[in-house]
Amino acid sequence: MPGEPKPTVGLFVTCLVDAIRPQIGFAALQLLEEAGCTVEVPQAQTCCGQPALNSGDDRDAAHLARQTIAAFEGYDHVVLPSGSCAATMVHGYPDLLAGDPEWAARARAMAAKTHEITSFLADVMGYAPSGRRCDASATYHDSCSGLRELGIADQPRALLAHVEGLEMRGLPGNDACCGFGGTFCVKYSDISNAIVTEKAEAIEETGADILLAGDLGCLMNMAGKLHRRGAKTRCFHTVEVLAGRATGPAIGEDAP
Amino acid sequence: MTARDRILSAIRTALGPGKPPAQIAAEAAALLDPAGIARPHLVAPVLPDAFALKATALGTTIDRVASMADLPQAMARYLDAHGLPPRFAMQPAPELAALDWQGLAPHQGTAPDEPTALGLALCGIAESGSLVIHSGPDNPILMSFLPLHHVAVLRESTLLPYLEDYAARLSAQAVPRNAILITGPSGTTDIEGSYVRGAHGPGFLHVILIADAGTEPG
Amino acid sequence: MNAPSKAPFKARAKAALADPVLKTAIDRTTGNAERKRAAAVAAFPEFEAARARGKAIKDHVVAHLDHYLEMFERNAAARGAQVHWAADDAEARAIVTRICLAADARLVTRAKSMLGEEIGLPHALADAGIERVETDLAEHIIQLAGEAPSHIIWPAMHRTREQVAELFKTGHHPPPAAEDPATMVQSARTQLRTKFLSADIGISGANFLVADTGATCTVTNEGNAELTTTPPRIHIVTAGIEKLVPSTAHAFALLRLLVRSATGGEMTQYTTFHAGPKRPGDADGPEEMHIVLVDNGRTKMLADEFREMLRCIRCGACMNHCVVYRQIGGHAYGGTYPGPMGSVLTPVLDGLAASRDLPNACTMNGRCAEVCPVGIPLPTLLRAWRRRSWREGLEPGSIRTGIGLWAQLARRPRLYRLATRIGLPLLRLFGRGGWISRLPLAGGWTDHRDLPRPAAQSFMDQYRAQQKGRK
Repeated sequence: MPGEPKPTVGLFVTCLVDAIRPQIGFAALQLLEEAGCTVEVPQAQTCCGQPALNSGDDRDAAHLARQTIAAFEGYDHVVLPSGSCAATMVHGYPDLLAGDPEWAARARAMAAKTHEITSFLADVMGYAPSGRRCDASATYHDSCSGLRELGIADQPRALLAHVEGLEMRGLPGNDACCGFGGTFCVKYSDISNAIVTEKAEAIEETGADILLAGDLGCLMNMAGKLHRRGAKTRCFHTVEVLAGRATGPAIGEDAP
Repeated sequence: MTARDRILSAIRTALGPGKPPAQIAAEAAALLDPAGIARPHLVAPVLPDAFALKATALGTTIDRVASMADLPQAMARYLDAHGLPPRFAMQPAPELAALDWQGLAPHQGTAPDEPTALGLALCGIAESGSLVIHSGPDNPILMSFLPLHHVAVLRESTLLPYLEDYAARLSAQAVPRNAILITGPSGTTDIEGSYVRGAHGPGFLHVILIADAGTEPG
Repeated sequence: MNAPSKAPFKARAKAALADPVLKTAIDRTTGNAERKRAAAVAAFPEFEAARARGKAIKDHVVAHLDHYLEMFERNAAARGAQVHWAADDAEARAIVTRICLAADARLVTRAKSMLGEEIGLPHALADAGIERVETDLAEHIIQLAGEAPSHIIWPAMHRTREQVAELFKTGHHPPPAAEDPATMVQSARTQLRTKFLSADIGISGANFLVADTGATCTVTNEGNAELTTTPPRIHIVTAGIEKLVPSTAHAFALLRLLVRSATGGEMTQYTTFHAGPKRPGDADGPEEMHIVLVDNGRTKMLADEFREMLRCIRCGACMNHCVVYRQIGGHAYGGTYPGPMGSVLTPVLDGLAASRDLPNACTMNGRCAEVCPVGIPLPTLLRAWRRRSWREGLEPGSIRTGIGLWAQLARRPRLYRLATRIGLPLLRLFGRGGWISRLPLAGGWTDHRDLPRPAAQSFMDQYRAQQKGRK
């Protein structure tokens, strides 16, 4: 729309995407630009603080919250390719900083404009991908934080429906946790293993070529288990398929 | 300090000053208002049908008869259909004793392994298909629990739509020692989730529904 | 108050995970419960409104707890019941034992009550030399097995039918004629019938304490509560002080939520209000009724951040929908109450030092809060325990060090960039074909699953390079 300034978006890629699979960050960047946003990636970002928050270490979590708010509060929107990190900013930050007179209002203000990427694209920008093709069958796992803390369920499915050739298959227990749980999966690895084993079995039973989800943590857990079991399922973040970038190596497939 | 004082004082310290009782009562009443938005709908437009649908879904059997005079015949039918002896325990209620039980042998007192007992329900609740019984001089509670077959007489005129209607009725009268809502035969799912009837209470609940609505006071 | 198993939580969980029979038993019961609850909620479009109302009722009672306790006490006394107050589990045990001994009771029947387990009633009765007969079928099974409940609704859900058959073979005289559930239930019916009728005292819990009538309310599907409370000379009720409701109508509003959430039914078969002992002329009923109101940590919860937990109506939906419970079952938790609600309550009852694993052994997936019929934010409360555990220095040194080092790095973006620049290529050395299968210090991950090999260059570095190229 000529004359109307493009909304500015601060993209928080998340620490896992930064280190493990940068391609998800670039897919997010591409989609946000296609949707008509001016995207910036502030260099002051590291981690949202969720590991500290979930371990009870509120002091470190609050420090990271303030650091992140300072780096991102100037944008019209803050967008993340992760429901769980987004939920940390939307719910965790205002709780953490509720008693801090200087930061409480800033945390609430930022929470109000923070979005997980598929909900931002679908609900805020009214975006739909076009001309994308992916000839494969896929199943989708609802990551818990996005689903229950942010209400992300229909948006990714609606966006994926625009990808030609993609056959979506239902995943029994799609809304049950995969057993990742952040530090849970290493602190209580036996229990986590039992949970992800069941999840992997359910995924394999769909016979889908591809597993999709909106959180890299959950994806690494499921992909790692599927690979250990010798399954052929390939794992991608939803935005990789939406951006037409699911053509190369999947998670864990040898990348350059 | 007694435990009572310690508990109450800990509560008051945590809660701060209390409100006047009348205000608390008003708030409590407001919590249930309006009743209709937070309860299930009746499954049929008239109470006997709604009651019967709910009750039978839970395994209760129902025999609908025109009047109390039809009760002995209905009872004979039930005993016959289940191959039960004509001897059964009967609630010591004048209106039951007044009936002509020819061919059957009602008796008072319920043996620990009594096959069948017959009693009057005080009222029924259509929402849930529940029967209500109240303890009293002529209503031993064990009569509804010891037998394998519990046969209850329920007058359509006593049917209430919702659980709240029964609660209102209970609070308007002297509360009995035991007020019991019976909703289906006794059952358990404690072994591997398999549903088995007759865990401790009656394995069979049979309701003889008297079509007296509008003809007798409720 | 059930003495938790001596083994640490992780060892108990590991043992449970290695038991395929246990897993089968858990899957059958919780799977059924989940499906039936979903159907019951779907058939009740007003469920959300009912849930909001249930939450409001419990909050109202908690906000006026002293008022309702006194009202209940007054009305129960007016019906002839004797009301006792117990500040903790020891006082509650002492009161019940005293009543039993004063009545010269030899045989006590008991209808399932989790509060009774919480205050350690079974052991107290045994110590006093009183024969205790559990009458709920599941409680009967675990009494024969010498176990504690593993679920608050289905206490014997960890036992398969074959295991129950073994127990009944030696515990029933004569043993059941066959091993199908119907025959075994019939056998228990026969065994317990004489106990019901010869007991001196019947002990029950209460699902609700109705303030305006002074009645206690029990709900069962078997009918054992009425058979427990009617024939003996004395009926004792033990109940937590949070069980109060203003009136019978309020109890019904909560009952609609409780039954649907617990079993997927709409009503329990028997919903019974007990108001005092036998009245003059009554055909049957106990001569005395005693009600023991138990605090045991509840006023402490009222005073701190766990107040919302006092809304809990003990339906068990949180554990039926918990991925952790469904893997390890109830006994691994080691407290009276398992699953998410138990992980909030056990630190109150047994102390955080002895139970810090419980609030941590949770993926924070939020499903428990989603199904809770009174909207208890269980993950938030679990996180509150984690916070307290961290503050009180109860978290293991390895975790404190790990989180601390990582936070130091994350708080310094430039240093963090540098660390990824050095660390990622190093980590990649452990990889083979895109995956890392063994990684020092990361056995928690790689023992069970492969780790995708990290990128050679982080997103931030790649992005910066691209931006420079554009300029």
